[in-house]
Amino acid sequence: MSVMAYIAVSFLVVPLIIIVIINLLSRKTAERVGIYLAGACAVIQMAASITDFFLLSANHLHEYKFALLWNMEKEGAEHFGVTSLSLVILFCIGFVSFISVLIALRTIDKRKISYVNLLMTLVLGMNGMVIVTDLFSLYVFLEIVGISSFVLIAMFHSRVDLEGALKYLVMSALASIFILTGLSFIFIKTGSLQYSQIIQDLHGGGDGSMQTFIYAAIILLIAGFAVKTGAVPFHSWLPDAHQSADTAVSVLLSGIVIKVAGIYSFIVLTGLFENVPAINMTLAIMGIVSIITGALLALRQTHFKRIVAYSSVSQMGYILLGISTGSTLGLVGAVAHIFNHATFKSALFANAAALHEQTGTLEIDEMGGLQSRMPVTGFSNIAAFLSTAGIPPFAGFWSKLLIIMALWNGGLRVFAGIALFSSILTAAYFLRMQKKVFFGKVPDKYAELKEIGGSIKFAEIILTIVIIGAGVCFPLALVYLKGRGIL
Amino acid sequence: MTAIIYTCLGLMLVFGVMAVMLHSMTKSAIALAAASAALGVVLYEMGAVWSALLEISVCSGLVTVIFISAISLSNMDKKELEKVYEDKKRMSLLPVILIISGVVLVIAATTAGVQLPQASAVKDAGDLREILWNNRQADIWGLIIIMITGAAAVSVLFRESDWK
Amino acid sequence: MNAFGFGNIVLIIGFLLIIAGCYCLIRTYHLLKIIIGIEVAMKAVTLFFTYAGYVNGHIDLAQAFVIISIVIEVVVAVVAAGIAINLYRKYGSMDIRNLMKLKG
Repeated sequence: MSVMAYIAVSFLVVPLIIIVIINLLSRKTAERVGIYLAGACAVIQMAASITDFFLLSANHLHEYKFALLWNMEKEGAEHFGVTSLSLVILFCIGFVSFISVLIALRTIDKRKISYVNLLMTLVLGMNGMVIVTDLFSLYVFLEIVGISSFVLIAMFHSRVDLEGALKYLVMSALASIFILTGLSFIFIKTGSLQYSQIIQDLHGGGDGSMQTFIYAAIILLIAGFAVKTGAVPFHSWLPDAHQSADTAVSVLLSGIVIKVAGIYSFIVLTGLFENVPAINMTLAIMGIVSIITGALLALRQTHFKRIVAYSSVSQMGYILLGISTGSTLGLVGAVAHIFNHATFKSALFANAAALHEQTGTLEIDEMGGLQSRMPVTGFSNIAAFLSTAGIPPFAGFWSKLLIIMALWNGGLRVFAGIALFSSILTAAYFLRMQKKVFFGKVPDKYAELKEIGGSIKFAEIILTIVIIGAGVCFPLALVYLKGRGIL
Repeated sequence: MTAIIYTCLGLMLVFGVMAVMLHSMTKSAIALAAASAALGVVLYEMGAVWSALLEISVCSGLVTVIFISAISLSNMDKKELEKVYEDKKRMSLLPVILIISGVVLVIAATTAGVQLPQASAVKDAGDLREILWNNRQADIWGLIIIMITGAAAVSVLFRESDWK
Repeated sequence: MNAFGFGNIVLIIGFLLIIAGCYCLIRTYHLLKIIIGIEVAMKAVTLFFTYAGYVNGHIDLAQAFVIISIVIEVVVAVVAAGIAINLYRKYGSMDIRNLMKLKG
């Protein structure tokens, strides 16, 4: 048991130790060594989450409770808990931070210590969100994630405008206000905000007058978390924030922050309020509208990162559809799509970093024919967008298939049809981007261009292997889950 | 007791709206401090003694100091301020919105008949200090991490060496 | 006088304050007014939490929530003020309209 205890505690302790080490070293050593330490933390987190997943299933536990330096046996005390779902998300957090560190090795040249500090607090905040069992602690760690990501966007302000950071701050503050008000309404009815307590109190029924408070709380919580996810109609901060930020930070934002801060909170919400059917319908409608709006708006963009940002809005819609079905199949499809989206979105942003480093611009109208000059980038871009559009045998096909099957089984056949049709839209806007950037004739100023080297090339190769490998090995994962009785 | 609470609630609303609508930033900050003081009295009368203390000392004191220092680091001439920002015109819609929504809410309160619960007896045997340090330890860890984040953020944002 | 019971008054004033704070947050042109909007809305949230604690008996738990959220809000205010001062040093004014250059 003690191995599991060490692993569970390490999710919070390892980034803290690295923050302490970084700030104690002298400035020159810290600048040289800091990013490698952050990369080590990400690798440790990936290894720990995989080990814990298998240990958890070997011990036949559903959830492993632990506490960090306090006594959790007292009455009313809260505890941390690690379930299989949270281990999958913890693995994604480690993976995307690792890719971000690889990109940051090339693109960040000053303020490396601050980048490492803020990356570690961001990872701490996200780890914390996934392992707590209390709604107010969820809010506290959500604020940590919000502040860290806001400062990371605004940090390299010598490059582009700060409008994205400002929009993100305003929408994030609005979301916090809505979430806190919703929490206080839930608190009026039940005596505490722990997950077990809320489920117990709400299943006991209740008189009619209190139900209005719970409905108002649910509406406010859905609105607040939808802002954090970037779901339509609250998506306006997403493209500007991605464009303003440095590419290493955009990877983090799109790859993991909008998912942990938004989608995981929706999973918690649907888990707590199972007997309210209106939640599922609201999430499904938000999902469908996000898919279509994101895809249509991406067709008009000319900046590489904005196309990728609108594609994120669209893919969040798919994940929301998967959660809204309420069945285990939909949840498994949604979590699989979280992992797949992390891989192909990171690949797209790694390509954006490569293009920006070599050509100095990200407007797709100025580029062209780069397939012959930058073959690795071109190939990984093709792999990424085929996976996004859901073409077999890439990984995106499997997760989209699971989500559409769950919708079909749940009776929402129209939604399943629309989701299937928008794969065509996805392929359309990505094909337009690929054609303009990589095919065609090379402009004269790029005749001498060389392929990107170093850590970004390494990141692209790893991501392409993961996308293709996950697509091929996915049926094995499905068989394993069936064997464990989840599916 | 009820007279004090109702007066202070009303004062809090008035000062809050003044803080939003005034176009001079210093007066806005002072109105915010007054609203915090009124809220502190309301909290004390409802029985939350420690949070009233923290509300008055932090929100009335610390946040006002932060505002005044931020304002003084970015001083602009008062007439130029008014001319540039047009905040008075943009914010002038606010009292109309508030009065309309106030009327809507009062009508909703009378007709919907939502039965609000009365104050019940204190159920916990414990004290704030025990609850905060024994039961809510995860939040204490969160607070420590937020302070580290705040320190890292401030050290990045206030660095003087890159300003051109 | 059913509409003017204590609970109704608290909830109505709280909602009006939240509307005022969110309106300020969205419509202002001045960078520091954004922080004032956040603060005003947080006062309403504090009022809601304490009223909830007063009504269901767990006043100490509500005080813990209020204390923690006050600390978080102070850190957010400091970071936002830092960004505002940074932007003032770069652009020379605190007007948001100077930054609105991104389109689409």
